[in-house]
Amino acid sequence: MKKEELLTTASLALLELEEGEVERLGEEVARMLDYFEMMTKLDVDGLEPTTHAFQKTNRLRADVLNNNNNNNNTNNSFNRPLIMENGNDVEDDFFVIPNVL
Amino acid sequence: MGDVLVNDKYETFVGLEIHIHLLTESKMFCGCKANYGDEPNTNVCPVCLGYPGVLPTVNERAMEMGYVVARALNCRLSRKTYFERKNYFYPDMPKNYQISQFQEPVGVEGYMDFEFGDEIKRIRIHDVHLEEDAGKMIHAGDMSLQDFNRAGYPLLEIVTEPDLKSGEETEAFLRAFRRTVRYLGVCDGNMDEGSMKCDANISINLPGAGLGTKVELKNMNSPRFVRRGLQYEAQRQASVLDEGGKLIQETRLWNENRDITESMRTKEMANDYRYFPEPDMPPFCPDDAFMAAVEEAQVELPLTRKHKLMRKYSLSSEQAEFIHDEKGNADYFERVLALGAEAQSVYTWLSSDVQKELNLLNMTLTRSPLSAERFAELLRLMEEGQISGKIAKQVLIDVFEENEDPSRIVEKKGLSQISDPAAIARIIDKVLGENEQVVQAVREGEQKQKGFLVGQIMKETGGRAAPALVQKILSEKLS
Ligand SMILES: [Zn+2]
Repeated sequence: MKKEELLTTASLALLELEEGEVERLGEEVARMLDYFEMMTKLDVDGLEPTTHAFQKTNRLRADVLNNNNNNNNTNNSFNRPLIMENGNDVEDDFFVIPNVL
Repeated sequence: MGDVLVNDKYETFVGLEIHIHLLTESKMFCGCKANYGDEPNTNVCPVCLGYPGVLPTVNERAMEMGYVVARALNCRLSRKTYFERKNYFYPDMPKNYQISQFQEPVGVEGYMDFEFGDEIKRIRIHDVHLEEDAGKMIHAGDMSLQDFNRAGYPLLEIVTEPDLKSGEETEAFLRAFRRTVRYLGVCDGNMDEGSMKCDANISINLPGAGLGTKVELKNMNSPRFVRRGLQYEAQRQASVLDEGGKLIQETRLWNENRDITESMRTKEMANDYRYFPEPDMPPFCPDDAFMAAVEEAQVELPLTRKHKLMRKYSLSSEQAEFIHDEKGNADYFERVLALGAEAQSVYTWLSSDVQKELNLLNMTLTRSPLSAERFAELLRLMEEGQISGKIAKQVLIDVFEENEDPSRIVEKKGLSQISDPAAIARIIDKVLGENEQVVQAVREGEQKQKGFLVGQIMKETGGRAAPALVQKILSEKLS
């Protein structure tokens, strides 16, 4: 595997790799790719891809609102204070993060 | 402004990605309310906030709407559709992927016909797929504020082939498309409120040379801006090529304040979304009952409706254009006709006096006090000679203001026409008696003065005297 490919893959996953890691992971990922390579050699002509492990289909829900509404008639689908508590930084009912623009 | 500015040395290719917000009660994969304008982070839950361990479940109604649109756009419908994860990092999407469709969308390979000038154009549809919207961010100073009410809102994306040839044509297509989704009742089509969005890709090339270097255009918030953005961009690309330059594949933003497109600086790395099937959601295989419901939801589409109005009721193209714009109005029009009214007179009233009243009161026809029944009754009263055209206009206003039947208003206000010859003769005698000099002048040949007498008679009766009778009896008396 080319080093460049590994770095591209890492940046797509938002991973920062140090020089030593690049070496080590390069080898490990290459071994995985070899394994996939082996699988691609199998003859799968005429087989439908198995996209899902379970063969169950059509799990749908009716178009109705949650009724876990515990915020006094405001149609809130979940308890806002509880949800906001999980934010690292919160202001005026918004979650706050560093400016990403 | 037309496309005249565009260098006609080149051929233009435009393709669209249209996103529509589906008119469901709840979100795509959870039971949160799908609604605009609520307080930030009120319509949120662990599913649409992307908490680990949650189980998203497809909204049945959204799935049905997806198939309904795909069917209306003549797509090949998927017998086994499934969702995939589109992976990217951006804080408006806390899961770090968007649930979308890729390999097996609900529909592929469709087309839509629309009218452009005198021509019927056919635009091919690449695919129709379901996905979820992202949250909203407000950038302020050194921070970004996140509101996830919109995250998980059901979206349907319609991707066209690059078959459109100009900004003008694209605008016409978008208006026809908007009308179509409104007819189907799946989206309100309001581009200014963001419930319908449109990104375009555009390339130009010498005729016969096929597609050129593709530029993506974003940030056009109305069909008009789509046209202007594309016109500007075609012109810009032509200038680059004319000067011997090379176009680069990039994304540009329409700046509506400056009327230009601007390059959006992005990282050079091409997007690689690494789609893979969403493991939390099994595929959906529509059964016969589902497909029957999709068929059931089909309506006569706008273009067909327009042509029917022209054929069946002898409306002109412009008249039919006006009547068919909203499905509710076209239905209303046909209902009034079914109640016995005559097409031209219904059209005339709808496009003038009724429209004026609706604009004044900021109402839509179908929700106004003027029901099809009341409107037909008003026209009937007029046709039967019970009220004059002038009185009818007053009664129309009264229907809007008092929310009552025209016949009731006519009765209550004593507006019915005086069509008893004896009664009219009495009034005429009175008026002639009061205007002896004018009568003399008319008898001596000054016919113009006759109009004055008619005016006095109408005034005397509050406009209620049957005009034809007045003319007839007055002439007899003056001869
Ligand atoms: Zn939710």
